[in-house]
Amino acid sequence: MKNNRRIKRLLEITPGAISWGIILFLIILAAVRPVLAAVFVIAFDFYWIIRTLYLTTLLVMAHQKLARQKNTDWLRLCKELNNGRGWLNLCHLVIFPVYKEGVEILRPSLEALKMSNYPKDRIVVVMAYEERNPKAKIIAAALEAEFKGEFFGYLSTFHPDNIQGESRTKGANATWAAKRAKEFISKNNILYENTIVSCFDADTCVDKEYFGCLAYHFLTTPNPHQASYQPIPVYNNNIWHAPSFARLVEISSSFCEMIESVRLEKFVTFSSHSMSFKTLIDIDYWPVDMISDDSVVYWKAFLYHKGQYRVVPLYITVSMDVAYSSTILKTVAMQYRQKRRWAWGVENFPFLMLGFLDNSGVPFLKKIRRSYHLLESHITWAVWAVIMTVIAPLPILLGGAYFAQMSTVGYNLPRITGTLLHFTLIASLVWIVLSRLTLPPRPADVKWSRNIVMMLEWVLVPFIVLILGSTPALDAQTRLALAKYMNFQVTEKTRKF
Amino acid sequence: MFSEQKVRAVLFHLSVLIFIIGLPFILSFTLGYKFDSRTLKFTKAGIIALKTQPAGASMYLNGLILNEKTPATIGELLPGEYNVRVELPDYYPWEEDVTVYAGQVTRLEKIILFPLRPNIKKLNKERLSSFWIDKDNRRVYYFNQDDNYIYTSDLEGDDFEDLVPYASLTPPPGKFVLSQDKSKLLYFNKHQIGVVYLAVKPENLNGRQHFVIDYPRDDIVDVFWHSDSFHIILVSSRRIQVLETKPGSEAIDLVVLNKKNSSVVYDINSDTLYFTDYQKADDGNFYNNLYKLELNAKILPLQDILKIKPGEKQPQN
Repeated sequence: MKNNRRIKRLLEITPGAISWGIILFLIILAAVRPVLAAVFVIAFDFYWIIRTLYLTTLLVMAHQKLARQKNTDWLRLCKELNNGRGWLNLCHLVIFPVYKEGVEILRPSLEALKMSNYPKDRIVVVMAYEERNPKAKIIAAALEAEFKGEFFGYLSTFHPDNIQGESRTKGANATWAAKRAKEFISKNNILYENTIVSCFDADTCVDKEYFGCLAYHFLTTPNPHQASYQPIPVYNNNIWHAPSFARLVEISSSFCEMIESVRLEKFVTFSSHSMSFKTLIDIDYWPVDMISDDSVVYWKAFLYHKGQYRVVPLYITVSMDVAYSSTILKTVAMQYRQKRRWAWGVENFPFLMLGFLDNSGVPFLKKIRRSYHLLESHITWAVWAVIMTVIAPLPILLGGAYFAQMSTVGYNLPRITGTLLHFTLIASLVWIVLSRLTLPPRPADVKWSRNIVMMLEWVLVPFIVLILGSTPALDAQTRLALAKYMNFQVTEKTRKF
Repeated sequence: MFSEQKVRAVLFHLSVLIFIIGLPFILSFTLGYKFDSRTLKFTKAGIIALKTQPAGASMYLNGLILNEKTPATIGELLPGEYNVRVELPDYYPWEEDVTVYAGQVTRLEKIILFPLRPNIKKLNKERLSSFWIDKDNRRVYYFNQDDNYIYTSDLEGDDFEDLVPYASLTPPPGKFVLSQDKSKLLYFNKHQIGVVYLAVKPENLNGRQHFVIDYPRDDIVDVFWHSDSFHIILVSSRRIQVLETKPGSEAIDLVVLNKKNSSVVYDINSDTLYFTDYQKADDGNFYNNLYKLELNAKILPLQDILKIKPGEKQPQN
C-alpha cells in the first residue's frame, strides 16, 4: 500500500518534472551553447509548423464531415435499421450535474431536449443538484413545474455533501444521480444494456438530432458497450455576445476537439458525452474524487475492458456557453482557471499507469502507446508556447554579443523563425474561415459590425498563446508534482438575453 | 471511416517526410553551410548583410547584379574577398571590397546613398541678410536689413509672414537669443545689442517695437537672457554685467575679469553663469579657474542691484 502510494507520487511528479526539465535545460543551453539552442529552436519551430498544417488539414476533414452530416434525419435512419437491436428498445438517460447554475442557464438546456427530434417517452432526465447549494430546491421546483411531464422520467436529485471518500467534484454528483437513476430504470423494467447515459454540462444544448444520431451509432457500432460517444462541443449559446478573447479561446477548444475526433487512436472523452449505462455501472460510475471525470471515466472503461474500449466520434454538435465575466481581466482569469482545470487532466497519467501496473490485461504495446500519447500531449501542451515565445529569443539574448551580431546562426535565427512562423498564417486563415462557417445566425440584438470585429479579433491569437498557451498546463503539472491538489471550480457562465 | 483514416495516415507520413527532408536544409542554411553540388559536401559559408539609406538599391557582387534590393542578405558565400557595389538611380553609388569569414556575418548596414543633386529648397520669400532658427517652436526668422523687417515661416518655408520691424546693426548680428517667455528677441554684434518685441507692444518705446543699446566700452563676447525675460546678462571682454531691457539701460558690473575673452556658459534653468578667469594665488602666480555666479532671484535680487530710480515706470515684460 505504502509502495503503491510512492509509485503514485512518482507518477504525479513525472509530467511536471519532464516539462520543467525541458524548459530549464533549454534556458541553460541557450546561455552555454547558444548554437545548439538555436538549432533546437529552429527544429522545434519547423516541427510545430508541420504539425499545425497537418492538424489544420484534419480540422478541415472533421469540419467537412460535420457539414455533410448536419441535416441528416438520424431518427429515420434508426427506423430503417433492421439489425435486431431496435431503437424502440433504447432508453436515453440524460444527466445534468448542476451546482450554481440558475434557471436561466438550465431552462435552455431542457428546452433543447424538449425540441429534440426523438420520442420524449424514450428519454429520462436527471437534474443532479448539489444539496449544499441553498437555492437548489427552489430551482428544482421551478424546473419540475415546467418540464416534469415532458419526458418519460424526470428526476431531481440532491447530492449530499461530505460523503466519505468523495471530493467536491462534478463526478461525485453525477455518480450519485446515476445511482438514483439506476433505481428508476430498474423500477421501470428497462434493461441497463438498452440504456445510453449522457452526462452533459449544465449549459449543454443538444442538437435536435443528437439522440437519433447517438442511437444510430449505438445500434450500428460493433460492441456498443465498449465505446463512448463523443459529440463535437461548440460554444455557440452566447458566442455573439462574448468578448473576443473568450470567444477565440473557446473556438480554439472546439477546433481541438474536432481535430481529436479524427485521431481515433488518441481520442478520449471530453466534457459532454454519452456511453452505455451498463458499462457505467460495470466500471462503478464516474470517479468521485477526481476533477477530470470526463476523461477518467473513459480510462476506467478502457482498463475494465482490457484496452478494448474506444471513443466513437459523433459529427453532431452540443452547444455550450462561452465562459466570460464582466471585465476583461476577470474573463482572462476565468479562462485561465478553466484551462488549468482542463490541464488538470494530467492526473489521468498516474491513474492510467497505476491501472496498467495493476495487472490490467491491456496488451503491452497498447499500454506503451496510450501512456506515451497521454504523457506527450500534456508535456507538449506545457512547453510549446514557452519554447516559441520565451526560449526562442534566448540564444540571442544570452548567447553574447558575438553570437547575436557576428555569427551566421545568430543572424539567421530570428529571420528563419520569422519566415517559418509565416506559414502558420495559412493555418490561421483556414481557422478564420471555419470559425465563420460554424457560427450560429447573428441574433437580432447584435450589430452587423460585430462580424468585422470577429474577423479582426484573430490578431489577438499571439497574446492568447502567451497567456493561455502553456501556462495553465505548466501550472497544473507543477501543482500535481508538488501534491497541491486542485479542487473542482465551477466556471461561471454568463448569458445575455 | 477507413478511407478517412487512410487519408490521415498519408498526411501523417507526408508530414514526417517533409520534416525529415526539410530540416537538414533549414538547419544547414541557419548554421551558414552551403551545399557544394560539385563535391556533394556542406561547406561553412558566410553572410553579407546590407542596409542602405534610402532602401531599394540594386546590389552587385563581384560585378554581377543580384535579384534582391536593399535591405538584403547575401548568404551562402564561401570565405574570401568580395567586391560589393550598391546603386540607386539619382544617387552616388557605393562600393567596397569586403572579406567574408566562415560562419560570420559581415555587416554593411550604415550605408548612406547621397543624392547626385542634393535636395535643396529655398525657404525665404523676401530678401534676407541673416536668419535665426527657433528649434523649439520650429520657426525660421528672416532678418532683412534692406527694409529692417523680420519675417517668419515654418521650417519648410511655408506659413511665411511679416513679423515686426527691427533696428539693424552694423556689422550684422552674429547671434540671436529668444527670451524664455518667447516675447523678445535680442541680437548683438561687438558693440550693439538690439532688442525686438515679437508679440507684446511695449509702452515706453513710442510705438516702436525695437531699440538698440550701444555698448562702446568693450567687445561683447556673449549675451544671455535672464529667466525673468527682462534682464540681460552681458559678458564682454573685460567684465560680466547685467542690464534691463529698455532703451538707455545702464549696465551694472557684476564681475571685472582678469582674463580677456573668458569662456562662459549660462544655465537659464538655475540662472547660473559659469565662467573662467585668472586668479592670483598665494604663490603669486595667476591660475585659470572656473567660477559659478548664481543670479537667481533668491540669491541675488536683481531689482536691488539695479535700483530702479524713483518714479520710473518699469517696462512691460
